[in-house]
Amino acid sequence: MLWRTIRSMEVMAHSSNFLLPKLHQPAKTPANNYTLVVLNQQLPRFMPRLWAQAKMRICADGGANRVFDEMSQMKNDLDRNRYIPEIIEGDMDSIRPEVKRFYSSQGSKISDKSHNQETTDLHKCISSIRHRTPDHEKPNLCVLVTGALGGRFDHEAANINVLYVFSDMRIVLLSDDCLIQLLPKTHHHEIYIESSVEGPHCGIFPIGAPSTSTTTTGLKWNLSDAEMRFGSMISTSNIVDSDKVTVQSDADLLWTISLRNLT
Amino acid sequence: MPPLPTMVHSSSFLLPSPPPAPPADADAENAVSYAVVVLNQRLPRFAPLLWTRADLRVCADGGANRVFDGMPELLPGEDPDEVRTRYKPDAIEGDMDSVRPEVKEYYSSLGTQIIDDSHDQDTTDLNKCISFITKNPPGPDSSNLCILVLGALGGRFDHEMGNINVLYRFSNTRIILLSDDSSIFLLPRTHNHEIRIERSVEGPHCGLIPVGAPSSSSTTTGLRWNLDNTSMNFGGLLSTSNIVEEEIVTVTSDSDLIWTISLRKHT
Repeated sequence: MLWRTIRSMEVMAHSSNFLLPKLHQPAKTPANNYTLVVLNQQLPRFMPRLWAQAKMRICADGGANRVFDEMSQMKNDLDRNRYIPEIIEGDMDSIRPEVKRFYSSQGSKISDKSHNQETTDLHKCISSIRHRTPDHEKPNLCVLVTGALGGRFDHEAANINVLYVFSDMRIVLLSDDCLIQLLPKTHHHEIYIESSVEGPHCGIFPIGAPSTSTTTTGLKWNLSDAEMRFGSMISTSNIVDSDKVTVQSDADLLWTISLRNLT
Repeated sequence: MPPLPTMVHSSSFLLPSPPPAPPADADAENAVSYAVVVLNQRLPRFAPLLWTRADLRVCADGGANRVFDGMPELLPGEDPDEVRTRYKPDAIEGDMDSVRPEVKEYYSSLGTQIIDDSHDQDTTDLNKCISFITKNPPGPDSSNLCILVLGALGGRFDHEMGNINVLYRFSNTRIILLSDDSSIFLLPRTHNHEIRIERSVEGPHCGLIPVGAPSSSSTTTGLRWNLDNTSMNFGGLLSTSNIVEEEIVTVTSDSDLIWTISLRKHT
């Protein structure tokens, strides 16, 4: 039964090689083919590298304040001109006027979506990215988001919900401590572990709906056709035990792995 | 079908001084006893207030380091040793892989109970602490026990999820997870909920999140964007960035929901 399921289900491969310094990235993988979205929370330690290697940088509203205030401090480099986002997008109720003026004068496109109060700033950014990407480039699209976790819990929940709403896109939420991404139930997942920068702590969660059957390989405590449900068992404080973790489930799952050694 | 019983929620424990004379129907509130659990993250600014309010204080493993280091920092005008003696946990529980040996020694010599659960690798530190508290409740009975947890949100995401799962696993116990920014607790589907808002310390931002399973019908009053037999699910609508408009918010749902409300900066 499992074999038939694997054969009929497409494999989705995941890799965090975007976290590696440029020198160490595999030559043929377009690891720097990502768009970076910066939300309004303290920037993670490894932001300068993430910024430098991105294809495009979008600040969601107050995320621009964070880049303005914190980026040059991180690099011990007072030249704000080096860190100019291509786009600043959102409802503009958090960005400081002088920050908006500065980036606008440096060429950032200001995309004011304040007329739309139905969706969060992250939702607007993801929606725009998707809208701007030609169809043939969509499969390679990867969006990395900083500042989505921690802070107000309803914001965090709304940001996690964006992963579910745009479940056909690769979106990774990053914090100083970990990354999270969605593993849609439509695919068999192969997660390649970059052990120099991630792990060993990991977890898998059936957020939004329970799973009656999940199977994994590559973890210290693997699941074998296991049920997972809030109120019962979910996989926390697991450990990656291999270079490759596989996951297959009848429910959308959230994958998380701890980050380390990142500067 | 008989109507659901009502569960009343109050965050009066966040008020700087004890609440004023209670209304006639608040006998239940009077008898509430509080327990505080401290997990291994930076203490929120209101930690000393809640500690003082509580009848029982438990540190989960490295949470003891946080109390040892953090309480004197939050009370800078006072002598650190006096603060540490005053803010002494009743118990330190967990697998003991994070608490510093000298911190464990210090509290142990003051009479803190040390409960080493390292043999039990199946449950999280918070889970162990909640079990301990429910088996050893402070106060006359555990029916009006409310457990306040500090340090459960933020940090490693799998820890946060494990902590939220504890709310679901102990759905018959009042447990509130608190950070500097938010307060969250479970609204079990078995009850109609009446949430009394203390506007001086919380709000206005709030939300209702069906973390474990979708809701096909939820109804609220007292919010700016009320739900009216509305369905909510991940991938679709969640109630986030909502606003409390009245002093009492009511919620009824066919699914367990997580309620969250923002905490004001001066709390």
